[in-house]
Amino acid sequence: MSNRLSWFINRFLRPAFGRAYVRIKGGNREPSWILWEILLPLIMITSVIWAYENMGAPEFFKGFVIIGGAMMSYWYNVLWGMGRTLYWEKETGNLEVFLLSDAPLPSLLLGMALGGMFNTTLRSIAVIILGVVVFKAEFNVDYLPLAILIFILTLVALYGVGLALSGLHIVYGRMGVRINELLDEPIMFLSGQYYPISTFPMALQYIAGLIPLAVGLDGVRRALLFSEGIDALWLHVLVLFILMIVFYPIGLRILNKIVERGRMDGRLILRWI
Amino acid sequence: MLITIETRDLVRIFKHGDKEFRALDKVSIQVPEGVIYGLLGPNGAGKTTLIRILTTLLLPSDGDAYVGGYHVVRDANKVRKIINLVSGGERPGYGILTVRENLMYYGQVYGLSWGETKRRIEEVNELLHLDEFLDKRLNSISTGMMQKYALARGLLNHPQILFLDEPTLGLDVQNARHIRRVIKHLIEDKEIRTILLTSHYMAEVEELCDIVSIIDRGRIIATGSPDELRKMVKDEIIYNIDVRLSDIDRIRILRRFRTVVGYTIKTRQLTGEARIRMILSGEDIARIIRTLEEENIHVLRVTRDEVSLEDVFLRLVGRGLEDEYE
Repeated sequence: MSNRLSWFINRFLRPAFGRAYVRIKGGNREPSWILWEILLPLIMITSVIWAYENMGAPEFFKGFVIIGGAMMSYWYNVLWGMGRTLYWEKETGNLEVFLLSDAPLPSLLLGMALGGMFNTTLRSIAVIILGVVVFKAEFNVDYLPLAILIFILTLVALYGVGLALSGLHIVYGRMGVRINELLDEPIMFLSGQYYPISTFPMALQYIAGLIPLAVGLDGVRRALLFSEGIDALWLHVLVLFILMIVFYPIGLRILNKIVERGRMDGRLILRWI
Repeated sequence: MLITIETRDLVRIFKHGDKEFRALDKVSIQVPEGVIYGLLGPNGAGKTTLIRILTTLLLPSDGDAYVGGYHVVRDANKVRKIINLVSGGERPGYGILTVRENLMYYGQVYGLSWGETKRRIEEVNELLHLDEFLDKRLNSISTGMMQKYALARGLLNHPQILFLDEPTLGLDVQNARHIRRVIKHLIEDKEIRTILLTSHYMAEVEELCDIVSIIDRGRIIATGSPDELRKMVKDEIIYNIDVRLSDIDRIRILRRFRTVVGYTIKTRQLTGEARIRMILSGEDIARIIRTLEEENIHVLRVTRDEVSLEDVFLRLVGRGLEDEYE
């Protein structure tokens, strides 16, 4: 095994696995997570679908909401969840202990994201079951492999953005949380959680094209709801691929810079900020 | 003699707005392999800052530091492979997980396989006797257990060099004694090659350390074995004077005496007494007692004592280890 591969397995994947283990084990030890992770989001989804039904919206809008609801939770866990959990890790002193090891910080963040995805997947499954069984939403499963490819590319691209945003929490502490909240609503709006972004003016659609989730959501919806194949969605795949290879190194660079700055001014281990 | 930790003119400045605070001021130390090296100093002396630089958590403002032959800034990852740090009073980990599960997590962080981590947990368990709480949730264990767990975490990756920052802080006598025994054992059995320990408990440093540096306000003011340091006050005489707690306000009268090099006061609320530990440059105790009594200070007991490291600190710095900065 080459040194690089050995390093990647032992020093990147192993700590990531360890952190995911903490999240999954801890997250499932107390059953209250079912309320937060599954029941509350289901109520939200149900209310939006009922609103569409009462407005006489087309049937496929239900599918939009279901896919949006299922994917948006990944958005929260990968992008926002990583930063929030990192802030918590810093406040409890866990980050300090982690930084004593030679494991890279992105592996810790990957572990947080993967661990978060476990419960998120359960939430997404619950949302889809609700949509199919209760609201009779219809999906074309023939295009599931393409939808999964687009979904995975979206998550990897989001991971790059999440790395950069996590740095905010290290340097700015509580203010990092506020900055995240500030970005939250515009990004939710532009991602088209509950409606197609094609309803936006063209300029807004271009801006939305820079947000991996907006592109991913649109691609997954078109594959599963409108039975569009790779010939129609190749641009989605290409854009996501480009976002993925652009965002990851940028995110990593920003995070490394922030960590270095944190070591310089002492904020990396300073708590209660 | 192989030097495992070395700092050369290490400076660390913290900036807050226009204000600057010099936490370390040209600190130079050399720690040989195979010893327990103590940094003794009051709170805020710079001990933790120094440890944080040596463990790569903080960058120095100036100067150089080497751990295991590696530069702490340029070769930070190589340093991290061979060290670990355990801080007293810290509670890192995940409360909802058991102690064993937490150690399993840290095993992964240190790059050990699942099986290796399990074996290593058994090894540190033998050393630290974690059995009674290994499968308890971290948020349900006592402070003493927590410190044993922290030490177990610190030993998990077989560090060559272990940094212990106030390892017995907040522990009761029995638990502190156990932790000290383990620390001694780690060096004697060559489980760890070198230990750098910080403490403001003088007795702990005297008991454990082969070499001690006294640090105050970011500066190293003396270095040597405990015996060598004690010899720094060989010409002085140490007395303990026990008085009533209610008389303590008038004790400033001691400053009148030229022979009083310095004194510290320790109060005992339970007994309503206070102990004045005093360094005298000449045998002047009879005159001092007489003056105290003339000032209506009720002297309960007077005993002569051996020189301790606290006296060395008092002699060098002019105040006791536990006294606050003025």
